[in-house]
Amino acid sequence: MNAMGVIFSNIYDSSMGDLTDHRTSAAIPFGGRYRQVDFALSNMAKADIKHLAIITKYNYESLMLHLGSCAEWDMTLEENGVVLLPPYATGHTGVYRGKLEALYTALVMLELSKEDYVVLTDTSVLAAVELRKAIQSHIDSGCDLTVICKDGQCDGKREQTLAVLTDENGKVTDMTVDFAATAEYSASMGMFVISRKLLMDIVRSTVPHGKYHWERDFIQAEFLKKTISLNVYKHPTVALFNESAAEYYENSMALLDSKVRKELFHSEVPIYTQTRNEVPAFYGDNAKVNECIVADGCKLYGQCNRSVLFREVLLEEGSQVSDSVIMQGSKVGTGAVLQYVVLDKAVTVKPYTRLIGSPTHPLYIKKGAIV
Amino acid sequence: MHFQKKRCVAMLLAGGQGSRLKVLTENTAKPAVPFGGKYRIIDFPLSNCVNSNIDTVGILTQYQPLELNEYIGNGQPWRLNSSHGGVQVLPPYAGSKGAEWYKGTANAIYQNIPFISRYNPDNVLILSGDHIYKMDYAQMLREHEKNGADCTIAVRTVPMEEASRFGIMNTKPDGTIYEFEEKPKNPKSDKASMGIYIFRWEVLKTFLEADEANPNSENDFGKNIIPALLNAGHKLMAYEFEGYWKDVGTISSLWEANMETLGKDPAFDLTGKDGIKIYARSAAQPSTYMSNTAVVKDSFVAEGCEVSGRVEHSVVSVGCTIGEGASIENSVIMPNVVVENGAVIRHAIIGEGVTVAAGAKIGETQTCAVQDMQIAVVGKDQLVEAGSVIAPGAVI
Repeated sequence: MNAMGVIFSNIYDSSMGDLTDHRTSAAIPFGGRYRQVDFALSNMAKADIKHLAIITKYNYESLMLHLGSCAEWDMTLEENGVVLLPPYATGHTGVYRGKLEALYTALVMLELSKEDYVVLTDTSVLAAVELRKAIQSHIDSGCDLTVICKDGQCDGKREQTLAVLTDENGKVTDMTVDFAATAEYSASMGMFVISRKLLMDIVRSTVPHGKYHWERDFIQAEFLKKTISLNVYKHPTVALFNESAAEYYENSMALLDSKVRKELFHSEVPIYTQTRNEVPAFYGDNAKVNECIVADGCKLYGQCNRSVLFREVLLEEGSQVSDSVIMQGSKVGTGAVLQYVVLDKAVTVKPYTRLIGSPTHPLYIKKGAIV
Repeated sequence: MHFQKKRCVAMLLAGGQGSRLKVLTENTAKPAVPFGGKYRIIDFPLSNCVNSNIDTVGILTQYQPLELNEYIGNGQPWRLNSSHGGVQVLPPYAGSKGAEWYKGTANAIYQNIPFISRYNPDNVLILSGDHIYKMDYAQMLREHEKNGADCTIAVRTVPMEEASRFGIMNTKPDGTIYEFEEKPKNPKSDKASMGIYIFRWEVLKTFLEADEANPNSENDFGKNIIPALLNAGHKLMAYEFEGYWKDVGTISSLWEANMETLGKDPAFDLTGKDGIKIYARSAAQPSTYMSNTAVVKDSFVAEGCEVSGRVEHSVVSVGCTIGEGASIENSVIMPNVVVENGAVIRHAIIGEGVTVAAGAKIGETQTCAVQDMQIAVVGKDQLVEAGSVIAPGAVI
């Protein structure tokens, strides 16, 4: 494909609570074996986009470890492959405030690239997007910018970074930024297609004037001045917006729905992740595991309902876990009872401990804690 | 091109047809047969190499090599994609004197003398591609070098009454081998060869060349090379191995080895309690989903499965679907199998990609002692029709 990619690894760090305490939003574990960035990378891989920049800010160690050599996505860490851009990478910028400023870091790379188009993406919206179709739609439309959107996400309650209202011809008639738009609006998935040359012009003409917010300072500002033509590509299958800690929990539970799993994991776009060489999950004689997502390496001797179990989770005999997300390497002791809990990685829950959250406010236990 | 000198190069014999595995090896080389939910047999010797710091491995393929070659690829899953060695698949190739199949195990190594020689190794480790075990070859190599042996052969103790089924090494108290007997009627020792050899390369090379020049030789390590070394007075040592080891060359041994990974304290521990990992090439599969009707006990279930039925004392591999009301017991389900609603599978090995349609019954349905049960086998990509009955021990 005649396109390169830019991945913003940390745009929603501040709204994810403790989940981003030690990691950037791209590295948040999801769905038993994935990290959020896997979806963006796999979408790119399926569209044959192997030249891309991953822009980072803080806490990018776990992201780097996860990417490894990028072989799982059939990509390589090299000049024309995957390039990691931390702040100060080029000497032009420091720590940025928004995507426009962040792109300033990538200017040198954008200049040296040969591709005509750039696909920009956050890592917080998890979906199997056929980027080939989105890029083709962008080319066919002749527009300046294509916004990849999802219908049915706006509900008048949840704030969306960018939402657009389109008429019957697909023309954008209204636009809101950082607002809980109503149901007739389509939510931006934080994924965009634009020509590389135009993108460079925009970054050069906005950032020196103190503008940094991609959606507000560029898209909305130009839209209001009527100086930009917009194309909307609507992603047809499920999209999980993980833009807050509450949504993270809701979307984890959404995986228990077979339609969601089918559209996310069994579509045209296979989702790749770093292989970890764990053994298959082992179920003991008294295990009772129902309506659960289970990753490799788990050892399950207790009971578990409506939960997501990441790799190498240990549920001891007599433990009872329900409505919870248990991340990699966490251990739940004999007789412990957990409901509405998110255990981050490597948490130890001692025998006979009770941890109960609520469906709207699950109890979060931070990485490595001993409870 | 310059190649680094190596202390030890491993040569893995993966060309066996595996005819005793019947339908399971009809289109698959034996080392590529799935094992333990997400592995293939060859993952065990390959992982042993990596875990023993052996970074140069030649894999000798011959029979149905396509799937195996694809599986090995560049060796990345085993960290064998090194630019100073790594893994190399070595099929028989056409030389200036014409193409030749590998005539025997020794001939396979003989034909690849150029591959080994470019690393100018001190030693060569010969391995088989049909054994399930975890072994530290580095320790065996240290013993081999310490003893100043020309050849060290890994042996394990077998019950004396079964010794006549094996290649037996007769040793002196210090471990020196003075005699080798293939399947002796009256065994003098209970030390059976495991088919794992370390040779001093310069000695082996000489004997391979002599063996090739002998038109009466079967070009086999056990039958020809080892006796020749003994006759010539070379120093051969036995290296005793006490861990789990199984030749999975038959249906029943393959089934048994899978079953021996189960339980809280299994005979063969896959879960890495010993700190030894087995590496495998993984497919992009999401995590497994257990529905509200799933019942799974004393079993491994790998990723990419959707389970709604009952699974007991079984190994279910990646990408399988087990429908509602289906029941699986004492069985090995290989990758990407679909077991539809209400199907019953007992004492069976179900090959890759098989569909067992609704209500079909495979294997034992009567009660009889476990040790008397025959293993039913369904070959790769077969369809077992709805409602059909496959008898215990049947192979289709």
